[in-house]
Amino acid sequence: MKLVTAVIKPFKLDEVKVAVKEVGVTGMTVSQVRGFGHTGGHIEIYRGKEYEFDFVDKIRVELVCTDELVDTIIEAIVNAARTDTVGDGMAWVSDVEHVVRIRTNERGPEAL
Amino acid sequence: MLAATNYIPYPHWLNPADNTWQLVAATLVGLMSLPGLAVLYGGLVRKKWIVNTMLMVFAGFSLTLVVWMLWGYNMAFGTLSHFGPTGSFWSGFIGHFEPLARAGSEQGQAVSGANSLIPFHYSTATLAYFQFVFAAITPLLFLGGLVGRLKFKAWLLIVPLWITVVYCVNAALLWGGGFFAQKGAVDYSGGYVIHLSAGVAAFVGAAIVGPRRWQDRENAFPSNLMMVAVGAGILWLGWNGFNGGDPFYAGADAAAAVLNTNVATAVALLTWLLLDMYFSRQKKPTFLGAINGMICGLVAITPSAGWVNGVGAIFVGLIASTIVWIAWNYVSRLRPFSKVDDALGVIYTHGFAGLTGGLLVGILADPGMTEYGVKGANYKGSGNFSVGGVFFTHSWHQFWEQFLAAVWIIGYTAAGTAVVFYVVKFLCRGLRESDEVLALGDVAIHEEEAFPEPTFGEPVASPSHLHPDNV
Repeated sequence: MKLVTAVIKPFKLDEVKVAVKEVGVTGMTVSQVRGFGHTGGHIEIYRGKEYEFDFVDKIRVELVCTDELVDTIIEAIVNAARTDTVGDGMAWVSDVEHVVRIRTNERGPEAL
Repeated sequence: MLAATNYIPYPHWLNPADNTWQLVAATLVGLMSLPGLAVLYGGLVRKKWIVNTMLMVFAGFSLTLVVWMLWGYNMAFGTLSHFGPTGSFWSGFIGHFEPLARAGSEQGQAVSGANSLIPFHYSTATLAYFQFVFAAITPLLFLGGLVGRLKFKAWLLIVPLWITVVYCVNAALLWGGGFFAQKGAVDYSGGYVIHLSAGVAAFVGAAIVGPRRWQDRENAFPSNLMMVAVGAGILWLGWNGFNGGDPFYAGADAAAAVLNTNVATAVALLTWLLLDMYFSRQKKPTFLGAINGMICGLVAITPSAGWVNGVGAIFVGLIASTIVWIAWNYVSRLRPFSKVDDALGVIYTHGFAGLTGGLLVGILADPGMTEYGVKGANYKGSGNFSVGGVFFTHSWHQFWEQFLAAVWIIGYTAAGTAVVFYVVKFLCRGLRESDEVLALGDVAIHEEEAFPEPTFGEPVASPSHLHPDNV
C-alpha cells in the first residue's frame, strides 16, 4: 500500500477531489497548510510597518491506496491540480507498512 | 383632585426634548468606549493581548463612574472652590470634593459653570452622566499608548488617580467655568481636555512604564481588522453624541456640530488615504491608515464643531489629517518620539490632532455660528454666544487664548501624569509585567484567551474523558 501526499493550490481542491473519486479512491484527508517553494512571498503593511509573508496558503491532500492504483491517482491529481504556473505544488508517494480500519478492525488492503 | 390634563410628569424647568437628546448623546458617547474602544483596541493589538486590553477598557469605564459619583463630578463641574481672589487661577481650578449623594443632586436642575448663559433644561443626573462618559473615555484613550505591558493592578490605580488629579482640574479650568474659561479659551467638546490630554498622558505614561518586549514591537500584528472596522464605525457615529451633545440643548447648533463633525471626518479620512496612496513609501491605500485619518478628523473638529461653518470644518479635516500624517510618518523618527513606545500612537491621532484642532478654533471659528441664541426671561448673558477666529475677526486674540490653554494642558497633564504613574509604580513595585508574563500575554495574566479552542481543552473539575456518557 502507498500513501499519496499532494500539496496543491487551495482553489484546485474541488477538481482534485472529483478526479480521484472518478478513479476509485474511497477516502482522503485534507488539511490547510502553508509552505514556500518557488513562489515568492508577498508583503503586507500594517500601520506603516511592512511584514514579509514567505509562506503561501496551500492544501495538503493525503490518501492511502493499493499499489496498483498509485499511478492512476497521481495522473488524476496532476491533471486536476495543474495550472502551468509557479506554485502548482507537488505530490509524493511513500510506502505504507500497515493500515487498520478503526470501526471494523480490518487490516491491510481490506481496510481501504 | 389633580386634573389629568394639567399633570406634567416633570418640573417646569425640564424640557423633555433637551433631556432626551442629552441622554441619547451621552449613551452614544458611552458606546464609543463600550464596545467601541474595546473592539478597536482589541483588533489593533496582537491576538495574545485582546482580553487584557478589552478588560482594561471595561474596568477603566467602571472605575471612572464610581470616582465620578463619589467626587469627580463635583470637582470638575460643581461649584468652584475659591482658594484665591476671584478671577485668579486659584479661585477657578477645581470644585469641591463631595459626592452626588442627595436626591436633589440627581433630580434637581443641573447647575454648573459649564454653562453660564442660559439655565440647563434637565436634571443634574443627566448632566453628570453626560460628563461622565467624556471623563471615562479619556483614560481609555491613553490606554492605547500603554497596552501590551502595563500591569493590570497598576491600571486599576492609575484610572481613579488620573481622573482626580488631571482630568478634574483640566475640566474645571476649561469647562467648569474655571480660569481658562473665564479668560476666553474655548473647547467645544474636548479637543484639549480629552484628546490633547490623552495624547500627552499616553506619551508620558508610556515613557514611564517602559517599552513592550522588542518581539512585540517588531511583530505588532493587528489581531482583527474587521473588529477595528466595528470599533472605528462606532467611534465615528458615536461622535454625533460627543459633539452634538455639547451645546447642552437640542437646538440648531447641535445639528450643525453633528454635520460639521461628519464632514471634517470624511475629509480627514480621504486626506490620509490619498497621502498614503501618493506619498507613503509603499504608495498603497491602507485601511488602518484611513482609520487613523478618520480619528484625526473626529478629534480635530471636536474643539470647534459648532463654531466653524461647513467650509471651516472641511479645512479642519484637511489640515489636521495632513499634520498628523506628517507627524506619524516623519516626526515619529525624531527624539523624543522615537524613544517612547506609544503602542497605538495616541500622541499622534489624539495629541497632535487635538492640539491642531484647538488652535484652529482661533483661526477658523465663524462668529456667525451661534451656539446660544435664545434671549428670554431666563437669559443671563450679554449676547448670542459665538466664537470668532482670526479669519473672520482679524484679531489673534482667540488664537492666543487657545494657545495659552494648550500650553497649560500639555504642561499640567505631563506633570500630573508623571506624578500619578510614579506613585502607582511605587505602590505596585513597578508598572511593567515581567518579560516571562509578557511573552504569554492574556493566558498568563487572566487565564483567558480571546479565541479559546474547545477541541484542545478539557474541564479540569470533571474531565470529559471520565464522563459516564463517554465510558
